[in-house]
Amino acid sequence: MGKVKIKKKSTLIDMTAMSDVTVLLLTFFMLTSTFLTKEPTTVQTPSSVSEEMIPAKDLVTVLVSSQDKNPNAENPLAIEGKIFLSFTGDSVISSEALREQVLANAVAKYNEKHKNHPVTLTPKMVSNFKKSNMMGTPFRYLEEVLSMDPAEMDKLMTDLANPKVGIPINGNKDKQGNLNDFQVWMWALAKMATENRADAISNAGLVEGTDTQKIRDLDIIYNSLYQGRGISIKADKDTPFDKIDEVFDNLQTMGLNKFTLQTALKTEEANQ
Amino acid sequence: MAQIEPTDKGKKKKGAQKKMAIHVDFTPMVDMNMLLITFFMLCTTMIQSRTMQIILPSNDKNIKEEQKTQADASEAITLILDTEYDSHNLPLKDANGNTLHRIFYYEGIPDSINANTAGKKVVSKGAIQIERFIPEEGEGNKGIRAILRDRHKEAMDNYDKLKAQWRNKEINKQQFDSLAKLNATDEKLKHPIVIIKPGPNATYESLIYAIDELNLNQVRRYSIQRPDKTDSALIRKFSAANPSLNVMRPNVR
Repeated sequence: MGKVKIKKKSTLIDMTAMSDVTVLLLTFFMLTSTFLTKEPTTVQTPSSVSEEMIPAKDLVTVLVSSQDKNPNAENPLAIEGKIFLSFTGDSVISSEALREQVLANAVAKYNEKHKNHPVTLTPKMVSNFKKSNMMGTPFRYLEEVLSMDPAEMDKLMTDLANPKVGIPINGNKDKQGNLNDFQVWMWALAKMATENRADAISNAGLVEGTDTQKIRDLDIIYNSLYQGRGISIKADKDTPFDKIDEVFDNLQTMGLNKFTLQTALKTEEANQ
Repeated sequence: MAQIEPTDKGKKKKGAQKKMAIHVDFTPMVDMNMLLITFFMLCTTMIQSRTMQIILPSNDKNIKEEQKTQADASEAITLILDTEYDSHNLPLKDANGNTLHRIFYYEGIPDSINANTAGKKVVSKGAIQIERFIPEEGEGNKGIRAILRDRHKEAMDNYDKLKAQWRNKEINKQQFDSLAKLNATDEKLKHPIVIIKPGPNATYESLIYAIDELNLNQVRRYSIQRPDKTDSALIRKFSAANPSLNVMRPNVR
């Protein structure tokens, strides 16, 4: 009797099909998802039945931090109500150009009121500001914070209890009076949309109504700001209304009465 | 790793071309793709935020009282929002993880003399009552949506008819939107005016929920105000009439 010969079989598995599947999955993820933007703090937006999508361009986001939800936190309210701003352009002018202009306007306005300790920015600080997506620091610390490395700055922004973090806001109701830092930023943004538009027209010796690229660019920003799609408030669902009301009030003071609130989608039935 | 295996076995004919099976190993390719997928899953989000538009009145001091839009107080329904907190100063949640909001409401001009008791026996129209967004079990609890709906049944019935037409594809979305808008602003029908008053303990979520209820009920006219002294007096009266409800919380933020 001959020995039964066990045939050696190759253990190779054909991975082509597997590869096909993974490439398909990869394509799906790349097409459907959007990149997470780096934010100093995570907030859980309340759910609503509103189905309107948030615009991806020409948007100013006002982020309001929530209280420390860790039950062991010593002082959970210390980090509540800190304000951060993010400026996104991209439809006609890049976000970086928008930020540069807004920063220049804001610093000029701030220095008008604070002649004794004005903010002077170096080109390096300006480029640092242009690159950071979300910023929140009082003007008095602006030089110090912007002279840091981007990584160092991001780290500082996540330390919400630090006095250098968060844009100061108060109950000032006088548009002509002593504006708080938040109002200065909003003023700078409104100026960008209104006065800079007029300047661009007169500098170029243009007549209103003539179609030039620069006017059209600023018009788009003007429209998104004043038609109520340009400013969006992002806050945690458990944040007390008082903190949000303060932002409402400051926006009203600056004449920006139309804005949007960021929500997450829920179905009508889930509410019942 | 691409392997080229000769498949010929045994005898060969001289001069015949060798048949080659080309086999490429895709394992590293799969590895790399998996890594990329992991990267995309971690760094991106599938949830796109939605927005809700809000238009507030100008608070310019130069605008005189007469120029402001006036609403008849007797026509209005006032919702005072309130949220319950636990000992960690975090909003209380129910078994499903929903925050417990409660709404004090009164219709028309507040009745500061009478207070309704928990049995929900309406003493008078302007008397303060308590309700939730999602109605609790028990008789007399309706939820805010039903209360608002009762204020303009006719308009809402029309709206539901339109919605049914849209669902049955008799009219398209654009037609539905314009007809719904016409219905919501039709002056022949009754429409409620709602005053939302977020109290000192109200959270942001309660405001969003309240505006949601208005949107679902096709209420176009509403305002957001802060509660005044009359409102706090009404709530005090209500809590005195209903000690079991524990309305006055010790840890008011």
